[in-house]
Amino acid sequence: MKLFRILAIWCFILGTTAGIQQVQAQPGQAQVEYSSAPAETDVEMADTLRRDGKIYVVVVVLLTVLVGLIIYLIMLDRKVGKLEKQFKDDLIKQ
Amino acid sequence: MKKNWWKILTVLLLVFTVVAGMLSEVPRLAILNETIRNLYFHVPMWFGMILILLISVIYSIKYLRNPTIKNDVVAYESAKVGILFGVLGIVTGMEWAKFTWGEYWSNDPKQNAAAIGLLIYFAYLVLRSSFAEQQQRARISAVYNIFAFAALIPLLFILPRLTDSLHPGNGGNPGFNSYDLDNRLRLVFYPAVLGWTLLGIWIVNVRSRFELLRQRLYETV
Repeated sequence: MKLFRILAIWCFILGTTAGIQQVQAQPGQAQVEYSSAPAETDVEMADTLRRDGKIYVVVVVLLTVLVGLIIYLIMLDRKVGKLEKQFKDDLIKQ
Repeated sequence: MKKNWWKILTVLLLVFTVVAGMLSEVPRLAILNETIRNLYFHVPMWFGMILILLISVIYSIKYLRNPTIKNDVVAYESAKVGILFGVLGIVTGMEWAKFTWGEYWSNDPKQNAAAIGLLIYFAYLVLRSSFAEQQQRARISAVYNIFAFAALIPLLFILPRLTDSLHPGNGGNPGFNSYDLDNRLRLVFYPAVLGWTLLGIWIVNVRSRFELLRQRLYETV
């Protein structure tokens, strides 16, 4: 189990370093074509999430991480609460 | 539910921090650019650390006056969460420094002092784990905890201000003046500090309750 964890951490480190190197290796591309460039046509689309340099996508991702962690903490909190209640009931029974 | 209102407040404050922290208007400054938004995520780690370590010291003092298991457990758990916040603060600070000061570690007085402060607290963890006897462990680590906090305050708030530092608010002038922090930043910064600190207190709360349950289980078995 411990070995598996160390392996997972190493994979993560290697993956991130490889990713960083790839990003650094790319020369500054002046023009990037987006499949969803909103300004080209007048067709009405739901472009809110792609506006302002796609910052809203970052907001969505950050919120997902935050909400995920908070839900995890709430579940942990309730688990401990249940255990506390069970413990109290057992004490009364004894 | 009545007792848990502050947990709901935590969630609301953190969601506000992320949304407003990314989308609100910020001062346009050279070099800093958009990284000024790190103010809502890097700086609250240190504010949170200091406040949670303060809780730890208060419970250590409480333990010395009234040696109960609860006081010891809360002091220990909050010290651990405080250290976690400190490590996150130093790592986020290095990431930010790389792209604004040019180096991950530029031997800035405040960086060095923060590292020394964290080492003092790592020593607390080592010290604590080196006692087998519960009362001895609790008493000696409570005394050390008070010393560690007393050493941390000058390291973070006094010594860096006596010399020139890359951090704002150092080299003589106090922080949080109108140049460092304008009102648009304050509007998100203070809720962010409160939100992140409350998140830390929440973790301390759950961990302490768990630890107390564990100890009571050992008592009864």
